Amino acid sequence: ISDQKPLGCWSVKHGQILTCPVVCNFETHEYIGVHDDKVLRIWKNEDLNLDKAFKATLSAEVYRIHSLPQGGALVLFRGGGVRTLDVLLEAPQQEIESLLSAEAIRWSGAFMEGQEPVLIFTTEKNKDFFVYVQKPKLNSLHKYKLEQQKPARPLCFTAHITNQTVTLLCLYSNNSVYQVLIPLQQDTEEEEEKEEEILSKSLLLKLSVSGAALKGTSLVVLDKDHVAVLGSLPDPGKKPKECLTIWNTKFQTLQTSKELPLGTSGQLWCYEEKFFLIHGKVLTVIMYKCETSSLAAAVGKLKDSQTLDVSSFVNWNTLEDEELLVSFQSQESVALKAESRMNLRSNRSTGQSGTLSVGQLLLRLKDASNYVLETELKKLMAKAPTPDLQATIGCVVTALTDRCKRNPKFYPQNLLQEIVETRDLSYSLCPDLMAVALEQKDLQLLQICLERFPDIPEEITYACLKAFLSISEDHLKSVDVNLDSAICYVDIECNDMEVKTEILENGFSEEMDQDMCDTKIPKENQRDGESCPVGLQKAALLNAVLHSAYTETFLLPHLKNLPAQQAILFLRYLYYLYVKCSEKVNTTLPGIRSPTINQIMDWMCLLLDAQFTVMVMLPEAKDLLSNLHKFVRAQVRFYSELNKIEGSLRELQRLNHLRESQTYSIEVLEII
Amino acid sequence: IGCEDGSVKIFQVVPGGIQFERNLDRRKGRVLCLSWHPSDTHIVAGSIDFFRVIDVTSGQTVQRVMVNHHVEKAKRECVVWAIALLSSGTVVSADSFGRVQFWDWEQGTLAESHTVSTSAVLSLAVSQKEDSMIVGTSTGATYHLQLLPVRLGGLEKRWVRTKPFQFHSHDVRAVAHSPTALISGGLDAQLVIRPLMEKVQKKSYDAALRKFTFPHRRLVSCARKARLLLFQFSQYLELWRLGSTEETGKDGEVLPLCRMPEHLVQLKSKGPEHIYCSSISPCGTWLGYSTASRFQLYRVRCDGDSVSLRKVPKVPKLLPPAYQLQFSANSESLFVASARGSVHVFQLLEPGGCKHLHTLRPPSGCSEAVYLLAPSADGHWLAAVSGDWAIHIYNLKSFKHHCVVPNYDCAVSALAIHPSTNNLVIAYSDQQLFEFSIPERQYTSWSRAVQSRGLHRAWLERDSPITHITFNPKNPSHILLHDTYLLCVLDKSLPLPDDSALLMNQSTLKQLPETARKRQLHAFKICKKFQPLLFMDLLDKNCLVVVERPIMDFKTQLPLPVQQKKFGT
Repeated sequence: ISDQKPLGCWSVKHGQILTCPVVCNFETHEYIGVHDDKVLRIWKNEDLNLDKAFKATLSAEVYRIHSLPQGGALVLFRGGGVRTLDVLLEAPQQEIESLLSAEAIRWSGAFMEGQEPVLIFTTEKNKDFFVYVQKPKLNSLHKYKLEQQKPARPLCFTAHITNQTVTLLCLYSNNSVYQVLIPLQQDTEEEEEKEEEILSKSLLLKLSVSGAALKGTSLVVLDKDHVAVLGSLPDPGKKPKECLTIWNTKFQTLQTSKELPLGTSGQLWCYEEKFFLIHGKVLTVIMYKCETSSLAAAVGKLKDSQTLDVSSFVNWNTLEDEELLVSFQSQESVALKAESRMNLRSNRSTGQSGTLSVGQLLLRLKDASNYVLETELKKLMAKAPTPDLQATIGCVVTALTDRCKRNPKFYPQNLLQEIVETRDLSYSLCPDLMAVALEQKDLQLLQICLERFPDIPEEITYACLKAFLSISEDHLKSVDVNLDSAICYVDIECNDMEVKTEILENGFSEEMDQDMCDTKIPKENQRDGESCPVGLQKAALLNAVLHSAYTETFLLPHLKNLPAQQAILFLRYLYYLYVKCSEKVNTTLPGIRSPTINQIMDWMCLLLDAQFTVMVMLPEAKDLLSNLHKFVRAQVRFYSELNKIEGSLRELQRLNHLRESQTYSIEVLEII
Repeated sequence: IGCEDGSVKIFQVVPGGIQFERNLDRRKGRVLCLSWHPSDTHIVAGSIDFFRVIDVTSGQTVQRVMVNHHVEKAKRECVVWAIALLSSGTVVSADSFGRVQFWDWEQGTLAESHTVSTSAVLSLAVSQKEDSMIVGTSTGATYHLQLLPVRLGGLEKRWVRTKPFQFHSHDVRAVAHSPTALISGGLDAQLVIRPLMEKVQKKSYDAALRKFTFPHRRLVSCARKARLLLFQFSQYLELWRLGSTEETGKDGEVLPLCRMPEHLVQLKSKGPEHIYCSSISPCGTWLGYSTASRFQLYRVRCDGDSVSLRKVPKVPKLLPPAYQLQFSANSESLFVASARGSVHVFQLLEPGGCKHLHTLRPPSGCSEAVYLLAPSADGHWLAAVSGDWAIHIYNLKSFKHHCVVPNYDCAVSALAIHPSTNNLVIAYSDQQLFEFSIPERQYTSWSRAVQSRGLHRAWLERDSPITHITFNPKNPSHILLHDTYLLCVLDKSLPLPDDSALLMNQSTLKQLPETARKRQLHAFKICKKFQPLLFMDLLDKNCLVVVERPIMDFKTQLPLPVQQKKFGT
C-alpha cells in the first residue's frame, strides 16, 4: 500500500449499524453488506451514496456473508439457515428456517469443494461446541459435537478442505492448537436419522515460546506445515507483549515471530501470502513466504560431494506399517493377513504381478538356510533397480539384522557386504546393521558402510573409530579391507616390524599406561610424521571414518570419551596425513577416496578440542603437540611468504601488461 | 522524453525528424525512465523514490506510487532506474536497491517484490508476450525472470527469477529481449547476445552465446603512400607516422626498428559531439572528419619533423553531415556519404581548397543514408551501400548511375573494388562473400563457383563480420580481409576448402615440408596471431599494417565496477 489513502469510502445513515463484514463478489465486482441485521445492501465501485444503493429487507437476521470465487455469495443466518445470494434475491422475504436452538454461532467459513460450495460453522451452547457442515446446493446438513477439553475452551477456529476432508483447526484457551478431521460425506438417508456424532480432536501444536505460553487470539493456516498465530506473551512485571508468530507444525517449532508493541485488535487475516492486522491505529500488511520444511536443511552438514550421487527416490508407501510388522513379528497368521492386504496394494503400485511381495519374501527368508537366503536375495538384486526395490532391500536387511540379533551365530557376512556394496542404502534404512557389524567386528562391512552411508549418527561413527583404533595390527593383517585409500601414500618400508610393534604397544596397551608416564619415549616417535604410525589396514579403516559425514557438536561429546592412548595414536596418524599432504603442491593425497586436507584439518581440530586437557597432561603427547605446533607454524609462514610472492608477481605482470600495450613492433609474418 | 525537471514531453515522429507536440503533467523529481502502455493510453515515469502513471490523452498524473515504502533504511533514496508498463496494467519497476517489483498501478499496491541483486538494477526489458524479462545490474550480472505457473499445469502464475548470467564486468546499462534471445550491453563496451535455449530448436550455431566488443565500423584509416595512420577516438583524432626497419628475417621474428613510430598530431573536435567518421587521403595530405552537425576538412603538411594542420576554408555546408568519408585513390576528390542514398563528390584543390562537384543519387530514390563507400583505383567507379542494403555503382567519369548489385537480403559489412579487374568484392554480415564484375554488371564466375559450392562451415560460423577488404597489387588473385579475430588472405587461384578440411591450416602447413604442402593448400590463408584486430591494410606489396586494441587496455580506463567482497580476499 503505497499512498495510504482509501480508494473508496461508503457510510450508512446515522443510527444504522453495519452488522456484518462487507464482502466483495469477485464475479460481479459488487460489494455486499448488511446493516441493522436484516437490511441487505449491494453496490458497486461507482456508487457514491450507499443510501441509494440496492436494498433488500430480509425476514431473518444475517450472521455472515461469504463470497466464494466462482461460487457467488452465501448468506448465513443467525438461526443457521444458509441461502445463496441469488436464491435470496429472488424472494427477499422468504421464510428462513431456524436450525439452532439457543446455540450461538461462533465462527463460520465457506469453501468450494469441486463445483459446490460448502459452509462450515461452529456454535456454542452451555459450553458445548457444535460443528455444522452445510452444502446449500445439495440441501444437506451435518451436525457434529466437538469433544470437550475441560476446562479449556476454543477461542478461534479456522478450516481448510483437502481431499474431501475438512480440517478444522481450533485454538484453545490452554494455549494449544487442536486438529479435527471431518469427512465430507455423500448424503444418504439413514444418516439423517443418526445421532449427532462426536468429533475427536488431536493435539497439533503447543504454543510455547522458550517456556512461556503464547496466549493466542487468532489463528490462520498458511500451508500444510505452517500456521500463524497472533497472541500475547506474558512479560513479568509488564504488560504482555503481543506478537505474530509462524509455527512449523511438522517439527513443532516456532519458525519466526514479530513483536507488535502497539497492540492489536486480536484479529488476523491472511490473503495471498500477506497478513493483514490492526497494529495500533493502522492496518499493517506483512508479506511472508513459507518454504517447504525439511529437516536436512535445518540440521547437520551435508555429505561430502564425492559420494553424494543418490539418483533415485524411495517410495515410502512400500514401507508402511504392515510391512514393518511383517519383518518384526514372527506370527505367521498376522503376517499373512497383513500380507494379503498389502499384496493388493503393492501389485497395484508396482504393476508387476507374479513376483513376490515384500511380505512373502520376508516370510520365506525368515528361517531359511544361508544358501536359500543367498539365492533368493541374488534373484531380488538382479531385478531392474526400481525405487521400491531399494526400500524392499532395506526391509530385507532389517530382517536379516534382526535375525542376527536373535541368533548370534547367524551372520551372513558376504551377503550383507554384497547388498551394501551394490545398493544405495542408507543408515536410516537399516538402522541396526552397523551395530550388528560392530558387535561382529566385521571391519570390512563397517568400512563400506562408512564410505557409502550418508547419514550415520555420530555415535556410531565414534564407535567405529574406537573399534578401529583398538584392534591390534596383527589381527588386521588377516582382514581383507579395501586398501585403495591408503596404499598410495603409506610407505611400506617404514612399516617394518620393529617400528610398528613399538607404536602398537604404545598405542593401546593398557598396562603400559602407568609405565609410560615418566619413562623415555621411544625414539621412533620423535620422528613423527616421517613414518606412518599405523599399519596399512588400519590407515584404510581410519580413512573411512575421516570420510564420513558428521556434525561437530554431536561428535565432540563422544570424542571426549576416547581413551587417551587411542587419541594420541589417532592424532599421530592425522599429523602424519597432514605432513604427507603438505609435501605435494596441490595438498592432496594420491589414491581413491584418500582423505582431503580439509577433512584432516577438521578432524585434527576436533580431536584437539575434545582431548586437549588430557593431551596437555600426557608426557608422551608433549613432543607430538610441539612438533605439530612447529609444523603448522612453519606452514603458516610458508604460505604467507607465498602470498607475498604471488602479490609481487601479479604486480610484475601488471607492469608487463602496461608496457606491452604500448608496443609497436615490426614482425615477419609468413602466410603460406 | 522524460526530463530532469520532472516534465514528460511528447514528440511526433515526422519524416526527417521529430516535432514537439505537448507537455504532460509536470511534477517535482527527475524523470529517469519511461514506458508506454502497449495500447498507448498511459505512460509510466520512474523518478527517485516513486513512479507515476500519466494518462496520455488528458496529460494528467493519475497515480503516484512510492517505491521505498517497505524499506527500513528509507533514508537512502531509491532510484527507479528502469520501468515497464505491461498490457495487464502491471507496472514493473527496477530500482537502486536491487529490487524488481510488480505493482498494480490502479490500486497502488505491490503485488510481488524480488530482490535480485545487492546492487542497483539499471535496466529492464520485457518480451513481446510479457511472460519473460531480463534485468541488468550494476555488478555486470543480468537476470532472467519468467512468468511461470506456480504448479505444473496450474493457472496461477508468478514471476520467478530463473537464470542469472554474468557476462559483463561493469554496469549493464541496456538490455533487450528478442523472441529468442536476451541481449545486454554494458559499460565494459560489450554487447552480448544470449539465445534462450528453450526457444532454440537444435543445438547449432544459433544457440551459441555471442559477444561483440567493437563497433563493426572502420575507426582507423591509412594513408598508404605516406605511411600514416589516422585513429578516430570519440572526441579527437590522432595521426601517427609508422616506424620502419631495414632488416629482414624469418617467420615470427621481431625486427629492430631503424625509425620509431611518431605521434604527429592530435586533433581535438570542438564541442561535446562525438566524431562520427574520419578519413585520411592516400597521399596523407588531406584529412577530414564529421560530427553529427559539422564536417571539417584539413590540409596536412609534413616538413621534416614539423607537422602543420590547416583548416580548409569555405568547405561546402552539408546538411545533414557525412556518414562516411572516402578519398579517391589519387587524392584529388573526396566522396561524402549522405542521407537518402546520396553521395556528394568534392573536388580537392591545391593549395587548400574544396569544391562541390556533383551529387550522386540512386535513380529510384532511397530513404536510408549511405554508410559504406568504395572508389576504384582508376577513379572510374564508385560503389555506395545505403541502409536498405542496396549497392549502387556510379560512373565517376560521367557522374551517372551505372548499375545495382543484385539484391541480397543481408547487411553489407565491407566492400572494395579490385584495382586491376574492377571487380567489386562484397562481404555480408552473414559471412558470405561475393565478387561482382562492374564492367560486365554481373557476378564473376569465381563468385558463382563459391556460391554453388558454399563456404566452409567454420568460416560461416564466425562471430564477427569482415570489416575491411583490401587487395595485393603484386598478386591480383589475392583478396585480404579481416574481422576482429583473424586476418585472411583469400587466394582465388587455389581450390576452396570443403567442410572436412581444416580451415585454419597455417600452423599445420608450416610444419610440412615444401613438397607436401601443395596438396594441403586451399584458398583461405588465415592468420589469428593478432587479436583483437581493429584494422588491417596493405601498405605496399609486402608490408601489412595491423592495429590491435587489447581489451585490457580500455578496460583499465573504465571506472571501477561495484566492488564485490569475495570470501577470503
